[in-house]
Amino acid sequence: MDVDLAFGGLVAARLLLAFAPLPEQFKFDHLLSSPLTSNLRLHEGVYLFKNGVDPYSGGIFYQSPLYLSVFSTLLPLNRVSSPVIWTLVDAVSAYALVQTWRARSGVGKSKRDALLAAFYLFNPYLFLPSLAFSTSSISNMLHLLSIMFAARGETSPALFCLAALVHVSLSSILLVLPVIMLILGQPKSGLADPKPISINFKKGRAIGLEFLGHFSVLTLTSTLVSGGFQWMRQTWFVELSLLDLTPNPGLWWYFFTEMFDHFRPFFLMAFSVHLLIYIAPVCIKFQYDPLYAAFILTGVLGTVKAYPTLSDPGLFLTMTSLFPEILPYLRYPVVTSLIHLHASLLLPLFNHLWLSQGTGNANFFYASTLVFGIGNGVALMDCVWAGLRIALGETKEGYDVIQQ
Amino acid sequence: MSARWGWQVSTLVLFVSLWLLQALANGQTHHEQARDFFNKQGNGNHTNNWAVLVCASRYWFNYRHMANALGMYRTVKRLGIPDSNIILMLADDAACNNRNKFPGNVYANPGQGLDLYGDNIEVDYRGYEVTVENFIRLLTGRVDPSVPRTKRLLTDDRSNIFVYMTGHGGNEFLKFQDNEEISAFDIADAFEQMWQKKRYNEIFFMIDTCQATTMYSKFYSPNILATGSSQLGENSYSYENDRDLGISVIDTYTHYVLEYLEQINKTSQLTMQDLFDIHDPGKMRSTPGVRSNLFSRPLNKALLTDFFGGVSQAEVMAEEDIKSHVMSSIAEKVPRPGAGEKKTKALTPSAVKMVALQEPLSKGDGIPSATARAWTGAGLVGLLVAWVTISATR
Repeated sequence: MDVDLAFGGLVAARLLLAFAPLPEQFKFDHLLSSPLTSNLRLHEGVYLFKNGVDPYSGGIFYQSPLYLSVFSTLLPLNRVSSPVIWTLVDAVSAYALVQTWRARSGVGKSKRDALLAAFYLFNPYLFLPSLAFSTSSISNMLHLLSIMFAARGETSPALFCLAALVHVSLSSILLVLPVIMLILGQPKSGLADPKPISINFKKGRAIGLEFLGHFSVLTLTSTLVSGGFQWMRQTWFVELSLLDLTPNPGLWWYFFTEMFDHFRPFFLMAFSVHLLIYIAPVCIKFQYDPLYAAFILTGVLGTVKAYPTLSDPGLFLTMTSLFPEILPYLRYPVVTSLIHLHASLLLPLFNHLWLSQGTGNANFFYASTLVFGIGNGVALMDCVWAGLRIALGETKEGYDVIQQ
Repeated sequence: MSARWGWQVSTLVLFVSLWLLQALANGQTHHEQARDFFNKQGNGNHTNNWAVLVCASRYWFNYRHMANALGMYRTVKRLGIPDSNIILMLADDAACNNRNKFPGNVYANPGQGLDLYGDNIEVDYRGYEVTVENFIRLLTGRVDPSVPRTKRLLTDDRSNIFVYMTGHGGNEFLKFQDNEEISAFDIADAFEQMWQKKRYNEIFFMIDTCQATTMYSKFYSPNILATGSSQLGENSYSYENDRDLGISVIDTYTHYVLEYLEQINKTSQLTMQDLFDIHDPGKMRSTPGVRSNLFSRPLNKALLTDFFGGVSQAEVMAEEDIKSHVMSSIAEKVPRPGAGEKKTKALTPSAVKMVALQEPLSKGDGIPSATARAWTGAGLVGLLVAWVTISATR
């Protein structure tokens, strides 16, 4: 079957699903949207903005002013347009994934492209937040677009998408270095052949300056739209200071509900630095395959981000489809998938028990987020192992691979 | 140089004096208007009512003291004081006592007619929280920061407070919880602190214990009206027993007061003098007393609802009166000397707009409106996308 036809069919199926009479509860679900990505808060912010009230003066709206400007003018949000917009966003993301695969493998159209598109469009971790119209789907789109453009060598679009992504979701700053390395390098698989690479620092500096240029233009636009600088405190600073402690499938919120004020700044710094410390080692180790470095850092983001939704680890799991070469070398894929299955059943169950039925408490939900975190962490570690293991080749008879 | 400055100073003096003149010439200020409104019926200047009802004794056999306090609670609540303005202190739980044959219910008359406890009750201080220290802290407002709002006496200088105390008492003391006592001096000093801190407008103090009138003999702060159930050397007696419960259910003095208050409602014009007229030493088996020397108003002008009820003053104005009222108040607030006619004409449309109050929030006051900014922002992002696309295809 022609790939384009298959792609169109998948997108149409998603559109039908988006228009299906599903329960309204998705928008309220804590797993599918966080305070930084919730569709309800987006509506609230746009409404306040249209009526002349600064949405950043209260504690409700934590999203970028660019969303305010786009959703109050070009793309109105209502019952008909929201499913269409979010399905289009997912379609673009799936397209970007397919294009990245084509750039990496060097193959043109193949049957695998339809599989990749299905893997993105029908991954429950990804399409459920999209049904909840969470803006994490838009972040995923920008994420995949920047990687696609970088893999294809198109500098400016890649940097623009990256700047928009960092602007919208500050923790994605982890991706800046691997994407720049990807622009400077090549997307083809270099896992089997690790070697130190030579970096063109002049070009790298120029790329970095262009990224900063894009970022500052977006920041100035946001300041203009918002009419002040208050928005910086209410968007970027919220992720750093965890102003909102709404439950989410991440690991930060429970820890900080019971944190004494005295220790709060220290632990906030520790958690933020925990995200940043992965950049240098991963990029140095996987310098010969920057796309893999970007993949690993996506996994780090999915596990330890401040306000994750299911989309973030979902993106990591879907991106494993870009690297079929590591699949034989994964040590415990069954364990990982079972932990994920376990967590994905427990998370909504305990959330319901705690908040709707009232027979459970926050510890139940926190335990399920811990299991989810273990699942993500185990998947990440296994992928790192497999990426490194490929370089050693197949095991010979009588020999075993050990780690000293 | 000096001539120029002199010119400016004299202009300033002229403006200021013109403004002062017109302010004085306008007659009443807003404060005076408000005060006249609240003084209209000579009701002593209060704007809100509070009640502090204390039952200071515990144990099952003091059921009647709890019934006293609960009876007062139901009365003031019926007459309009909300739970947020009532501090109910019960030293023991008669309703849920093991010896209560009718669990969850407290009756003030034999025969289980009217339940005082059951539905819709808010006890603020219960059990061991009813102590002398808590009571005085409550009155003076010197509470720990952790004390919740419902346990604070949040009165101001326009509050009328009804303080009712019942329990076992003696010569200038009242027994709390069987292990401590509060003296008349303590309460007097607490009231004086309240006066100094402007925490009350008028206090009505009622006490039903043995030798009750000694408890208010030491007050020295203004605007306090006090009444007690018995004189020095006399006991106050309980009224009647309930055969099923096995104890006395109400005290005599409180019984007659409650019986009298049952007949009034929020619109009642009966006065405190009428209440004190029911004092009958023969019926009540003790001699009640009244102390009114600290009270500034005559007793036949002080309404019962000034203390027992939560009645507020309201005046209904016609719509034309509102508009003219608002416009005249705006004219007062913007005292600009100069061409008077032009100014009032310019003021009128904005005054009418103020009354309408249905327009969306003001736009276009110098800062570009939100939609303009949004379009500009979207346009800028679009330009950037276009530039990026063009430079990529080049």
